[in-house]
Amino acid sequence: MSEPLENTPVGLLLREGPRAVNLGLAGFADALRAQGVPVVSVDWTPPLVDDQTAAILDRLL
Amino acid sequence: MIRSGIVRENRYFDSMFLMQVRQRMEREPGVHQAAAVMGTDTNKGLLGRLGFTGPWLSAAGPNDLIVAVEGESSEIIRAVLDRLEEFLTQKVKEREERPRTLAAGLAVLPQANLAVISVPGRFAAREARTALEHGLNVFLFSSNVSVEDEIALKSLAHEQGLLVMGPDCGTAIIRGMGIGFANVVRRGSIGIVGSSGTGIQEVTCLVHQSGQGVSHAIGTGSRDLSEAVGGVSTWAALGVLEDDPDTKVIVLVSKPPGAKPLARLGGRLQKCRKPVLACLLGTGKPGSPWEQVHLVSTLDAAAARAVELVGGRPSVPDSPDPTTWVASVIRERAQMSSEQKYVRGIFAGGTFCYEAQHVLEQGGIAVHSNAPLDPRLALDDPMRSVGHTLLDLGDEQFTEGRAHPMMDAALRIERLLLEARHAEVAVVMLDFILGHNASPDPVGDLLPAISQAKRAVAGRGGYLSVVASVCGTDGDPQGLQAQVTGLEEAGVIVLPSNAQAALYCRALVEGLR
Repeated sequence: MSEPLENTPVGLLLREGPRAVNLGLAGFADALRAQGVPVVSVDWTPPLVDDQTAAILDRLL
Repeated sequence: MIRSGIVRENRYFDSMFLMQVRQRMEREPGVHQAAAVMGTDTNKGLLGRLGFTGPWLSAAGPNDLIVAVEGESSEIIRAVLDRLEEFLTQKVKEREERPRTLAAGLAVLPQANLAVISVPGRFAAREARTALEHGLNVFLFSSNVSVEDEIALKSLAHEQGLLVMGPDCGTAIIRGMGIGFANVVRRGSIGIVGSSGTGIQEVTCLVHQSGQGVSHAIGTGSRDLSEAVGGVSTWAALGVLEDDPDTKVIVLVSKPPGAKPLARLGGRLQKCRKPVLACLLGTGKPGSPWEQVHLVSTLDAAAARAVELVGGRPSVPDSPDPTTWVASVIRERAQMSSEQKYVRGIFAGGTFCYEAQHVLEQGGIAVHSNAPLDPRLALDDPMRSVGHTLLDLGDEQFTEGRAHPMMDAALRIERLLLEARHAEVAVVMLDFILGHNASPDPVGDLLPAISQAKRAVAGRGGYLSVVASVCGTDGDPQGLQAQVTGLEEAGVIVLPSNAQAALYCRALVEGLR
């Protein structure tokens, strides 16, 4: 990462505050929303295969 | 008692929601116990131990919802399940309007700069990678992510100037906004980087209680400073706080890393352009081997020194005076029977368990644990305490397939009542963690069990001392003062920090030296 950090994506996160996409516990999105954080809550459901199987398929296909 | 249940195929709900479903069913009259879980093998095993068995259950898969109820009659159970079915159908309808993937979510909020990911660990790395590829920073709450995946994710993030907080990251506060388990604290000039979620919570709360504030608190994940991961997120967080105009002092909170990462960390901290304070939990001796780096070994000392560095007055001093507790300790001990001698800690916060072990061991007390400082003191069976035992009930062996004890008190209640049955137990130590996403009333959840435990010990002629600390602020939804008052009214000794609560327990079991 090159200096200065303030213009990198992480620097911008700190400077501008979070705007979030939430995947998983819906309560986390509710708590962010209650604080005034812009947040979109994804209705996440498990894919048919887990990460390990998906990685094998990625290599094969 | 009648036991029955239903399975609904391909209906996924998260663990926090399912905990609320279980609590809702258990409040119904005539229901003895209930469960609402996804059909993983672990969960099916748990249901089997609760007495739920049968072909309806064994056929369920990990993407299927299982609801199981034990009640007084089949009519009661049927009515509960019918009402639940209506509730779940309503929830599913509400969810239909939401995007189904991260990419679809980004289409709704194209200006997003952060993905908050708490999906089960075996799916988490893939989602985090997708988020990074879309240019998002990542807060990765999920645990059970392999170290290889963690290294790959952090390397990808580093190349793109992004930050991965986690995996196994419980807490962050970015520009005053709490993410995950975080407390409501004022903004200020103290920046925090930490591999420990509850460690960050304790420091931020004590900073707030001292009248100072937090610029940002950045979690890095419990393994970030390990030799394998190499501190990628810690380095990124230190760098960005050094450049951040709002941050005047930086606090690093971590369990002590191994020798090699520790040497690298020392080198990095000594080059820091801002005053820096390292809280390496349990490092023992005061003083610092690193020039210009303040070193402390407890969370309350970290908060106190940071507050002093920005010109404030700490609410909790960095070294308490235990002689002020003499009268209280004598009063507590006087009521105990001669066979009562052990402390049993039942913690929701892993770092609190770790810190308390350190404080007791500094007093020469050997402490057993499911997460011990010394591997030789590991409990053979985490379900059975030995001598002085401090338990981290947030550890995976207890939480697999259920909500964390910061949200769900059921496990702590069960364990507290179990410990109270042992005649040699003198004191039970507890932590209560407030803030976003924690239980709406952590103290209220445990008060009936605390009273029951105290009564049980009194009934056999002894006295159970209960010692606690509450990690929170008056800005938190639960309210710090209300929670403390609830404990004190139940005869619980409440100390202003976890380290002080451990020190008080040490005084109780040792006698003041």
